[in-house]
Amino acid sequence: MSYVLNPATVEQAVQMLASHPGARPLSGGASLVAMKNARLIEPDCLVNLAGIAALRGIARQADGSLRIGGLSRHRDLAECALLAGDQAMIRQAAGVIANRVVRNMGTIGGAVGNADPAADYLPVLACAEARVELAGPGGTRHLTMPDYLLGWYETALQPGEFVAAVILPPAGPGPSVYRKLARTPGDYATVSVACARVGEGVRVAVGACGPAPLRSPVAEGALAGRLSDPAAVAAFGAALVDLSDPVDDVRGSADYRRRLIPRMVAAAIRDVTEG
Amino acid sequence: MQLDGSFVVCAPRLRVWEAIRDPALMAACVPGCQSAERITDTAYRAVVTVKFGPISATFNVVLDIENEVPPDSLTARAKGEEGSRASTVSALSTLTLSDDPAGTRVDWSTDVAIAGRLGKYGLGLMRKKIESLSAEFTAAFAARLAQTNQGAA
Repeated sequence: MSYVLNPATVEQAVQMLASHPGARPLSGGASLVAMKNARLIEPDCLVNLAGIAALRGIARQADGSLRIGGLSRHRDLAECALLAGDQAMIRQAAGVIANRVVRNMGTIGGAVGNADPAADYLPVLACAEARVELAGPGGTRHLTMPDYLLGWYETALQPGEFVAAVILPPAGPGPSVYRKLARTPGDYATVSVACARVGEGVRVAVGACGPAPLRSPVAEGALAGRLSDPAAVAAFGAALVDLSDPVDDVRGSADYRRRLIPRMVAAAIRDVTEG
Repeated sequence: MQLDGSFVVCAPRLRVWEAIRDPALMAACVPGCQSAERITDTAYRAVVTVKFGPISATFNVVLDIENEVPPDSLTARAKGEEGSRASTVSALSTLTLSDDPAGTRVDWSTDVAIAGRLGKYGLGLMRKKIESLSAEFTAAFAARLAQTNQGAA
C-alpha cells in the first residue's frame, strides 16, 4: 500500500521526504505514475508537490535570469513568450515532448529529475547553460547541467532532494533551434540537437547519445567565425561524435546514432546561420 | 548478454587470488552489496541492490564456484531473485589471472541474463550500467589491495 502526502511549502515537502524513507516526490506524474501503474516501482509514499505555490510560475528575475518553477508543465513552456532568441529552442523542445496529454501533465521539474538521456529538455538546457535548483534538507543548491547529470539516469539528487526550479541566464538574441529525429512524432529522440547562435559562433548540445548531453566548449571555440566553412563544421561534428557513447536500442543502433550526429549538427548550424 | 574486460592490480597473483576468494573483501567491493555469507567452500549467498533511475531492485544472490584452478582461473555461476518479484538475474562468469609487469592482470568475461523490472531499460542500457558497475568494482578492488599491501609492509 502506498499513501500520498500533500505539503504546502518546499520546507514541508523536504521534511516529509526526509521522515519517510522510500518516499518519492511526485510532480506531474507523467512518468512516475505510469511506472507505478506498470508496477516497475512501488513507492510506499508519494510526496505530492502540486500544492506548493513557490514551485509554480515562470518569472524574470532582477538580474535578467529566468526562473522556471519545477511545476511548470511542458505545455506552459511551449507557449511561453519569455523563451525567445537563444532560448527559443526550449519552447520548441517543450512543444515536441510526447503528446498533448503528457504535455498537459508532465512538468519540467519531473522531467529533469527523471533525467532520461533521450528526453527533450536535457540538450536544450545544457545548450542554454541552465542551472538546476535543488531543494533538500541542506537547503537550496544550484548546479550546472554537467554537474547535475552524473551518469545513465543518475543525477546529483540526494535522498530528500527534488528539482525546485530551472534557472536560465539572461537571453541573447539567438537565433536557436531544436532538431529532433524520432521514429514517430512523440517518441523519445533517436538523436536530438540543440543549437544557439552566439555572435559569430554557436553553442551546441547533442541529446540521446550518451548519459548526458554532449557539449564541447573547446570545439565551439574552434568553430567560432567559421560557421559557413564546411570543413570546420565537419570537424566540429566529428569532435562531438568522439564525445558520444550511444546505446544500441529499439530506436537505433549506436553506429546509426554516431552517423546521425554530424549531419544533424550541420543542419542545426545551417538553421541558425541562414536566413 | 556477453561482456568482458580486464584490469591490472598492483599486487602479486597469489594475493589477488586470495582477495577474490575472500567473501568479506569481495562484498565490500561489489557495488550495492549489503551482505555476503559462506554456505560451503564453493557457495556463497549475498544480497545486492541495483539502482537504475527510479527503479531499485534488491536481489538475493547465490554464487556457485563451479571450477577453480588456484591461482589461475575460476568459473562461477550466480543466480539472483528479487524477493517476491518476478525479476531475476543470472550470470556465468570466468576470471583468468596472469602475471603482468605492474602486478597481476585479471581478464573477466560474463554472460548475463536479466528478466523483470530492470529489463525495461533494454540491453543497450543494461550493458552501459554493467560497464559502469564493473569500473566501480575494479577501482574499489584495486584500492582495497593497495591498502592491505601497505598494511603488510
